[in-house]
Amino acid sequence: MDSWSGILQGFSVALTPTNLLYVFIGVLIGTVIGVLPGLGPTATIALLLPITYTVEPVTAVILLAGIYYGSMYGGTITSVLLRLPGEAASVVTTFDGYQMAKQGRAGPALGIAAVGSYIGGTVSVLGMILLAPPLAQLAVSFGPPEYVALTVLGILLVTYLGTGSVLKSMSMAALGLLLATIGLDPITGTARFTFGEVALFNGLDFVAVAMGLFGVGEILHSLERTDKVQAVTSKIKNIWPTRKDFRDSSGAIGRGSLLGFAIGVLPGGGGVVSSLASYAMEKRRAKDPSRFGKGAIEGVAGPETANNASSTSAFIPLLTLGIPPNVVLALIFGALLVQDITPGPQLIEQEPEIFWGVIASMVIGNLMLLALNIPLVGIFVQMLRVRAGILAAFALLVTMAGVFSVNNSVFDMWVVLGFGVIGWLMKKTGFEPGPLVLAFVLGSILERAFRQSMLLSGGSFDIFVTRPISGGMFAFMALIIIVSAITSRRRKAVFGRVDPADVDETDEPDRDADRQVSAEGSPGADSTTDEPTGSTSTTPGER
Amino acid sequence: MTTRRTLAVLLVTGVALTGCGGTEEETTEAAGAAEDYPTEDIRLLVPYTAGGPTDIAARALAAHMESELDQPVVVENAPGASGATAYQQLINAEADGYTLSMTALPTAVLNYLSNEVGYTREDFAPVGVVTQVPSGILVPADSPYQSLEDLFEAAREDPQAVTVGTPGATNTHAAETQRITALYDVPLTVVPFNGNAEVQTALLGENITAGFANLSQDILPAIESGDLRVLAVGSPEPLPYVDAPTFVELGYPELVQSTTTFGVIAPAGTPEAVVQTLEDTLRSATEDPQVVGTLDERYVPAEFIGADGLGELFVETEETFGDVLGD
Repeated sequence: MDSWSGILQGFSVALTPTNLLYVFIGVLIGTVIGVLPGLGPTATIALLLPITYTVEPVTAVILLAGIYYGSMYGGTITSVLLRLPGEAASVVTTFDGYQMAKQGRAGPALGIAAVGSYIGGTVSVLGMILLAPPLAQLAVSFGPPEYVALTVLGILLVTYLGTGSVLKSMSMAALGLLLATIGLDPITGTARFTFGEVALFNGLDFVAVAMGLFGVGEILHSLERTDKVQAVTSKIKNIWPTRKDFRDSSGAIGRGSLLGFAIGVLPGGGGVVSSLASYAMEKRRAKDPSRFGKGAIEGVAGPETANNASSTSAFIPLLTLGIPPNVVLALIFGALLVQDITPGPQLIEQEPEIFWGVIASMVIGNLMLLALNIPLVGIFVQMLRVRAGILAAFALLVTMAGVFSVNNSVFDMWVVLGFGVIGWLMKKTGFEPGPLVLAFVLGSILERAFRQSMLLSGGSFDIFVTRPISGGMFAFMALIIIVSAITSRRRKAVFGRVDPADVDETDEPDRDADRQVSAEGSPGADSTTDEPTGSTSTTPGER
Repeated sequence: MTTRRTLAVLLVTGVALTGCGGTEEETTEAAGAAEDYPTEDIRLLVPYTAGGPTDIAARALAAHMESELDQPVVVENAPGASGATAYQQLINAEADGYTLSMTALPTAVLNYLSNEVGYTREDFAPVGVVTQVPSGILVPADSPYQSLEDLFEAAREDPQAVTVGTPGATNTHAAETQRITALYDVPLTVVPFNGNAEVQTALLGENITAGFANLSQDILPAIESGDLRVLAVGSPEPLPYVDAPTFVELGYPELVQSTTTFGVIAPAGTPEAVVQTLEDTLRSATEDPQVVGTLDERYVPAEFIGADGLGELFVETEETFGDVLGD
């Protein structure tokens, strides 16, 4: 099927009343949770996962995708108005967005962010239409060795890109790989680590683990927080940016779109990495870098464009290779598996309505967000008044009912609670759940593919280097490791350019508050794979 | 019979009697209950996730049973552990015909042969067969192997040469491939994948020499379009919808165990009259054009296989694969 008829088919799917309703619900929920600092897209999608199981697969993905990119819009609002990033990818927006708000230019900051997000999202959708089908065709020839390379690359990048602490990320990834070995051996069919418990034969349920670590862990953690968020009621004027604003930020939006698109496709990429990279790029390119951190509109436009672009392009590896590049996509992968659909190279051909329907829904969803965000900013801000306790109790109820409904299994409810406590402890001790969950998902793909490769090659490791694609990927990985080892000192400074000067402007208590926010205030966002860069490397006090 | 069930029967009978004016003698014996069967909701467990082929078959069947038996039939998914989750629930339920389960052979048998799952064939009362999905040996369109003999010849020449992808490690295809090696001395390397779709992708990408997979609805389009060629089918008789010889015709009379059979089972000890009622319902379902349409007529056996037939199939499967598994 060529792309044009694919797009037409996509719109015929996305424009049905049900799917239109679900796009709307998705982007609305996304915006709301983007605004609320407690919940990020990962926690929300984890919590809502079981509900999607009652609707058509395409509708489920439309809903979850809407939440993901919707949260990229919503996160901007509180970053600009309150210096409180609603989710991790918006941390950078606080640097210049908040300064703009202080100068009375909150309106244009929000306006340009919405416009930039829209453009970034649209560019990414176009890129996806052009790139995904040929990539899927290429991916058909991917055999087990290529999948080994891809999954190893994903695990490597998720531990390396998160600069929080490579050691902590790696230990969590290792734990994830270990947990993935529970259940029946994929090659011989013998039971491993099941302790005779039949409920463990298929391994720990991914949905239950993710809901526990992200959802319940976050809920428990939020109950400990005592700080209250002050709702802002002041009027926001002149949301539509001026012609000068557009001129100033057009370059940033263009570059942000491309950068975000590229980073989103990479395993381990996603919101935070793309917005930080875009900010760093804009600052480096600027004639007068000192303007950054003092209300430069490019500093809002670029990252906001990039994070939305990346949240769209992240669907490419999932829908063409069956490899989720980050945790949010891993959850959407789970949603498809629950529906008995295994994403892979054949998806575009065999389930075209899912691929094209989701793409078309993104076009519609981005338009809805543009329409929602500009006039309704004030209303979204009011939602910060909802008490965390009420939200938490409700969320826990939904979680427990939801996880039971997936497999009708009481055992899974215990898994959720167990991993909830683990997730809460991890948050307290500074361990990221992201690498664990991604390694858990990729681990079972990796193990099967590795052992298949060994069967194909008769036990020889040559198979990984003699095949051009897997050989190339392993060479690339070796390069990453070597380069990062050589420049290990400067490595931290890759995104480091962003920080000291920008945040140093502010007085001490303010800075502490900021740290509080990025380290604790947005743990829902914490949960995105890429978050590690968010909390540590942007806070100058850390180094 | 336990107290709980007696109470339930008493209650139901009581209600029924009250309804009729309450003049009849109270009949709470098992025989009486079996004759009246069913008088309450029936649970039909599905050992796989909702939306899959077994689930769709179960729901079509449930709809038919409801209209036939005049009682609600509730489909419950209990996926996981190659069916063990569902079967454990089944054998722990009362053997009264109000809890049934879908089953898939030989997966169910292979699972209890190779793992400690807490049940065996003895714990089930077979009811009948719903569908049978045959399997076949497939190669990509431009594979050098034009016939099964070509493929086997290559394997005999170089024991490393031929890799055979199967949809899983514990299902019929892996075991049947091992039987080819054991019985006919053809060295084949089994490479288990996760489901039919992955085998198909690996074939199209030419990452495996051949595939041994279900000839189910998902793979037929690739066969019809010519992207995949079938070298042999595993059914005893040739298939009207796949243009390929059977293993039997090619001189491998033993290779008829790769068909997946989907059936209905009850817990052992279910009264015979109840099983009879259920068997009759199942028979009429496989004759109802609407149900057959949902199940896909290609897979509904031309001649209905009832409780005895399914029971024999359990025994036969055990005998066939017991040796391959070794222990």
